[in-house]
Amino acid sequence: MVMLLVTSLLTWWYTDGWRARAGIVSHRLDATIDYFSFDLLLKTLFAPFRQISAGNVDGPLEVKLRALVDKLFSRVIGAFIRMTILFIGGVVIVVQVLVGVVILAGWVVVPLLPLIGFGLFVSGWAF
Amino acid sequence: MNPNATFNPSSVRAAKARLGVRLTKSLRTGIELLTVLLVVGGVTLLFVHSSVGWLLIGLAAIPAMLIEWYSGNLHHPSSEGETIDGLLSGDVLGQLGQNPTPQDIVKAATKVRGGMFFALRFGVTEQFLLNVTTDQPTDTAAIWQSALAVRQEVGCPHISGAVLVVAVIDSFHDSQSLLAHMKLSREDLIAGIRWYEHLRDLVVKNSAPKRTGGIARDFSFGYTPLLKRFAINLSDQVGMRISVDIESHKKAIDQLIDTFGTNGRQNAALVGPAGAGKTTIVHAFAERLLDAKEKLPPSLKFRQIYLLDSSALIAAAPGRGELEGLIMRVLGEAYSAKNIIICLDNAQLFFEEGVGSVDLTNVLLPILEAGNLRIILTMDEQRYLQIGKRNPGLVNALNRISITQANRDETIAVMQDQLIMTEYQRKVTYMYQSLDEAYRLSERYVHDLAMPGRALKLLESGATYGESGFITGNSIQQAIEQTMDIKVGVARGEEEREKLLNLEDHIHERMINQTHAVQVVSDALRRARAGVRNQNRPIGTFLFLGPTGVGKTELAKALADVYFGGEERMIRLDLNEYVRPEDVSRLIADGADDPTSLTAQAMKQPFSVVLLDEIEKAHPQVLTTLLQLLDEGILRDIKNREISFRDAIVIATSNAGADRIREYIQRGYKLKDFESQFIDELISSNQFKPEFLNRFDEIVVFRPLEKPELVQVVDLILAGINKQMALQKVTINVADDAKELLVERGYDPRLGARPMRRIVQRAVENLVAKQMLSGEVAPGTVIEITKSQVQQILGE
Repeated sequence: MVMLLVTSLLTWWYTDGWRARAGIVSHRLDATIDYFSFDLLLKTLFAPFRQISAGNVDGPLEVKLRALVDKLFSRVIGAFIRMTILFIGGVVIVVQVLVGVVILAGWVVVPLLPLIGFGLFVSGWAF
Repeated sequence: MNPNATFNPSSVRAAKARLGVRLTKSLRTGIELLTVLLVVGGVTLLFVHSSVGWLLIGLAAIPAMLIEWYSGNLHHPSSEGETIDGLLSGDVLGQLGQNPTPQDIVKAATKVRGGMFFALRFGVTEQFLLNVTTDQPTDTAAIWQSALAVRQEVGCPHISGAVLVVAVIDSFHDSQSLLAHMKLSREDLIAGIRWYEHLRDLVVKNSAPKRTGGIARDFSFGYTPLLKRFAINLSDQVGMRISVDIESHKKAIDQLIDTFGTNGRQNAALVGPAGAGKTTIVHAFAERLLDAKEKLPPSLKFRQIYLLDSSALIAAAPGRGELEGLIMRVLGEAYSAKNIIICLDNAQLFFEEGVGSVDLTNVLLPILEAGNLRIILTMDEQRYLQIGKRNPGLVNALNRISITQANRDETIAVMQDQLIMTEYQRKVTYMYQSLDEAYRLSERYVHDLAMPGRALKLLESGATYGESGFITGNSIQQAIEQTMDIKVGVARGEEEREKLLNLEDHIHERMINQTHAVQVVSDALRRARAGVRNQNRPIGTFLFLGPTGVGKTELAKALADVYFGGEERMIRLDLNEYVRPEDVSRLIADGADDPTSLTAQAMKQPFSVVLLDEIEKAHPQVLTTLLQLLDEGILRDIKNREISFRDAIVIATSNAGADRIREYIQRGYKLKDFESQFIDELISSNQFKPEFLNRFDEIVVFRPLEKPELVQVVDLILAGINKQMALQKVTINVADDAKELLVERGYDPRLGARPMRRIVQRAVENLVAKQMLSGEVAPGTVIEITKSQVQQILGE
């Protein structure tokens, strides 16, 4: 029965267990993407920030021109803030992907750790 | 026989489940600690140049893998195949040995969450189940068969402890009686499994992370400082409420999405009765808009709903014209922000002048007609019609979405979800029977609210009447009995039982003879309080026929006094005041306009005696209106609310044919000899229609009182006078021949015993008054009244 259980553990570890771990990594990535509002930022990259100076303005040419400049300024500010967040978010995501890859690769190695540890112990190597 | 009903205790899944059960919380904590110690120890040894460190780090992988395996697989091993050991939930499977007996199954099932759920919510405890099971392994197969059938019926992915509890009850040979003893049905148990599974799903759903758009969600939308001051952001409350998925609400939310997701007037009016869940729908809509995983039109994604606070607006702009200006600024801000949906909850507050409300039709109508700003209005049907009547343009500008009240299953589902918060706040546990009772009783007694609101209201009131922290069906009955002063359960107290069993004697303490009438009303009341009557009719409906002064009204009064708690518990209507067709509206008037209407009085006091005096004089339309009351125990008032008379005894009296009764009696007939013929005569002479008479449970003919009975009436009147005189410590004793004289003088064949009281008062009270004033009577004296004294007072 013990052998059956060990086999069952190893089977689970390399099938459902790994898939579940990959699911967790993927969920975390999703959460980060949601947190940094990636799709929204990309869709509204040049939209006026916080609707400041947004909307149609009616009046003399001078007023219209001023509104246009204001709106343009608002768009530039918006684009700058959005790009900054996109950059920070991008860095976080890259780091997270790397960590995820390490976790998933490490997951595969874990059952071998006792053997590896034993090998290193026998070799006598230490810091 | 299901061929899959086999249990293999040696399967790998069973072994895994057993290991999972053995890995208790403390053991798991120990293993986690061991992992940490091995890693820390290993690293430390490596730093001190010992290669043993590698060995420790390597070994740490074994307990770490065990913990991962437990949380990912052992704790809830996934189902494998269709056999019992492949479908049993891990927590139960892990407790079962090689040849489990039915009692082993019970012990295992009641130790896990599903079983504990049934013990708590239904009172189906381990001991109870052990009493109905054997310890014979041969009986186990029947339980496995039942378990597979129940699982298939409910549609569960596995056989949980809850499924097993129901399977154990199902496999008991007399399960029907067993359930009846607990006031449950099999459907209730199946509903219990669904409730348990639903709670499990809720836990999974709420533990999943929410996606609500992230930090940059509102970057493209404007600031809303005014809205933050004068409105409540419902989107901020997302996640703080438990949203209930009932079909009617889902449909309304889909309609809202459709209305706001397409071009057209961007407004929606949720119209439905109070309590039907209009505000809850708006909350659920707000939640759906903020869920990044929902498939929504892009123009609706991450929009936020602000509920305008009318009182805050009025308080901030008290002056004429100021409010209109403020509203325009607030709505302008909402429009400019581009992500706001305004909600006017109880929208009538914005369309009519009153305390806390103001008529802003002139400001809001153009906005609603233009349809650019997204607005949701909620109001009840009546207000909607009133507003439409005053301003048809407003109603035409609105996209109406009707919200109907929830049905029984939906209401129970809403209550189950609502309980999660109520139980946490009130520190109580509701049993399933309380939900059922809350629905049943609220449907009958709670007015002015629709389902599920009315059931929820009663359910919350029940929390005060818990028994050791448990809210049972009795708690709900007590809540309604205390708040509405009625009796809904079966007779519980010894005193009440004694009163019911001896009701005739108690009534006869204040009225003479008419034993048949007394018996039929007493029987009706006993049936009601024993819970064996038809719940969809009044307790009893009786028509008392007979001449004046024979005790018809007195019986109704006696009943109200003896059982219902006083004569004031009698709702009396003299129907000779309802002789015109338009009097129907007085009968069913709204309590706010006419507190004396029949419906208003019954609404305030549903547990009462309703006396409809001189019914033959009422207009036929009034009688037609009363038919539903007699038949189904309900009457709709002028506002179309259903008023229940199902806890009332309805007594109608009539003098119709009084002369015929006297005639029969004088010709020597006994009452039972001419009763049915007399009723036929009433129908043939068009005094009553047969369909009206058929509505009564019993028609009782009262006969005129005879002399010996009239002497007893005199005794009753004298007992009343003696009761009054008790304050003066004086007792009156009237000689027998004097009583006979009083009867002779007081009896009138046309008026029955009615003049008797006047005559006795004139003779006895006047005599006593004179004696007391002349100083002949001292406290403690017994005044003897003789025939000659009475003769002297009444004259020859």
